[in-house]
Amino acid sequence: MAAPTHDVLIIGSGASGGMTARILTAKGIKCLMLDAGPPTDYEHDRVTRRVCDLPYRGFGQPGRFPHVTQADEFNANVWADEKENPYSYPPADPYYWVRVRRIGGRTLMWGRASWRLSDYEFKAKDHDGFGDNWPISYADLAPFYDRVEPIFHVSGRKEGFAQLPDGVFIEDTSIDSQSMKRFLAAAKTRGVPTTKPRRATGALASSLNLLLPDALATGNLTLVPNAIVRRLTVDKSTGLVNGADFVDRHSHQELHASARIVVVGAGCLESTRLLLNSGIANSSGVLGHYLFDQFYVKNTIQAIVPEARDGKGGEGMMGGAGYIPRFRNLDTKEKDFIRGYSVDFGSGGTPNPKYFPLYGEALQKALVSHQNTGFNATTMGSVLPRFENHVSIDPVVKDAWGIPALRIQARYTDNEFNMARDAMNTLAELCHDAGFELLEKHDRMVPPGESIHELGTCRMGDDPKTSVLNKWNQSHDVKNLFVMDGSSFVVGGSQNPTLTILALSMRASEYMAEQMRTGSL
Amino acid sequence: MKRRHFVGSIPFLFATPELFGQAIGNIQQIPGFFTPPQLAALRHLSDIVVPAIGGAPGALEAGAPEFLDFLVSQSPTPTKNLYRTGLDTLNARASAKYGKAFAAISPEQADELLAPLRDAWTYEEPRDPFAQFLRHAKADVLTATLNSREWLAATKRSGNGAYWLPPE
Repeated sequence: MAAPTHDVLIIGSGASGGMTARILTAKGIKCLMLDAGPPTDYEHDRVTRRVCDLPYRGFGQPGRFPHVTQADEFNANVWADEKENPYSYPPADPYYWVRVRRIGGRTLMWGRASWRLSDYEFKAKDHDGFGDNWPISYADLAPFYDRVEPIFHVSGRKEGFAQLPDGVFIEDTSIDSQSMKRFLAAAKTRGVPTTKPRRATGALASSLNLLLPDALATGNLTLVPNAIVRRLTVDKSTGLVNGADFVDRHSHQELHASARIVVVGAGCLESTRLLLNSGIANSSGVLGHYLFDQFYVKNTIQAIVPEARDGKGGEGMMGGAGYIPRFRNLDTKEKDFIRGYSVDFGSGGTPNPKYFPLYGEALQKALVSHQNTGFNATTMGSVLPRFENHVSIDPVVKDAWGIPALRIQARYTDNEFNMARDAMNTLAELCHDAGFELLEKHDRMVPPGESIHELGTCRMGDDPKTSVLNKWNQSHDVKNLFVMDGSSFVVGGSQNPTLTILALSMRASEYMAEQMRTGSL
Repeated sequence: MKRRHFVGSIPFLFATPELFGQAIGNIQQIPGFFTPPQLAALRHLSDIVVPAIGGAPGALEAGAPEFLDFLVSQSPTPTKNLYRTGLDTLNARASAKYGKAFAAISPEQADELLAPLRDAWTYEEPRDPFAQFLRHAKADVLTATLNSREWLAATKRSGNGAYWLPPE
């Protein structure tokens, strides 16, 4: 076989792939990046259209995205086509697998919420006895969080919460509206902590804009779009990976890329699918297992601020957003669940017409009266990593390029259901205390996967018998194979995971570069 | 409240996260999915859910029933069945109670048949298929109206959004 053309092959251009490329190329390491999607150009790929000029008036083509509730008629062309990229699940346990196949990956569409994990997650087993700890602690990752946040211009407010460590923020100095002050006061009275959102600022904060340009500018990154990786290839004499077979999305031409080291950052389940299809890195037997995410109870409560009715919501009454970090099971112990949940809440806007049991002129008058009166909150809860929640290769289903598809088996349990009920009741109490009128409350979570925060299935650990990767995101079995994305998580908490994925991939990339420099890799 | 102010202050709804799909070019909207009695019932229902108020466009002026005839024709079978059965039920109940098709009864008479729309909204879908139909129809008629060219013109809203073009 010919000598490798590149030092490192990176599969995927999203958060982890983009960060890996940025770190390695800055050190002079020659990288080849394959991504299954086409190039993305914010300037040319997006145009202004009127909703009335769209073929489906904003409804979208019926049935095109049965599992992507985030899709609308404006953004439909961003999401991975479910017919080209099928997967399966048991009929009784629907799983919503939401994917993007474009350069930049899912960072093109993420909500930009940027929260650090804490040792309540990294050392979760020490705290409540369930499952396993990460092989790293918060102190190991903190220096990398410190460096990632400035790249993504994360805004926030420092609070000193042990369960939600502060970061290097653009200080959020926004003033709370009157309705927000009422809710915050109600929360404080009940001992519920609150803070400002922590977000990467800028609508275009993505791998495409913030990571890949620096990597490309070094001249050390070759980016190949429309390259759908079929399998990783292995040198039989050494057992090391030596590249990847891939197929061109358009021509269906079969091609091969070679490299000394392979980094997989295709996005959690796609990464695990690739390893399973390659038949490697699974001496532990846990590859594909311990799938989890964050459960979402969207619009757990929808309330109105009564004083804002009939156009009185101006003058500082309405507006603003906030976050309740986990507050359960920190210093106390709940009876019917371990770990905890977080809440996004916001003031302003008009409640959806569905909440009003009216129609006709009465409905239209109600909508006018309730304009800018809304207050709602969405719960994000920690899901326990369980061995039985797993992915495997479907024996029948294949994608449009003949690559075996995933079968996903995941279900929530009483720990999550009880947590969701607690969140609903707590939020209803807070709204009551704040003097808001509740239109609806519920504790029904969206199907697993819909939060787009799928994690695990290729977890890290110190013991090669119970984990796939070591603490450097490096395969226990195949030393020149790294898996950088959310599949490496051991525990996820209730925080959105992207910031941690970025910090992990930065950390692992620097380790890899040092190993290369010393000749260990 | 003056009509123009009233119309202009109605919250603007389009492309809600609950509605999914994508654009494909040059879709020809050929009516004819619903039977004439079904379409007549849908037109009357649409007029009741989103009436023209003070000269502002309602669902009929916005062509919402005809658009939904097209949209449902493109939809998965469960949606087709929901609409067909729901509209047939409207006609059957109107006939049983008033001896007329739904399209021929007065709004006051229709109110009695539309009682499920006055039930408080819950996250869970109603168990009764007819109540399910009414819930979906209300939302769809509203969206089809508020996203129409006629409505946008009357409310002087652009209806603009950032549309992602298909990949090459």
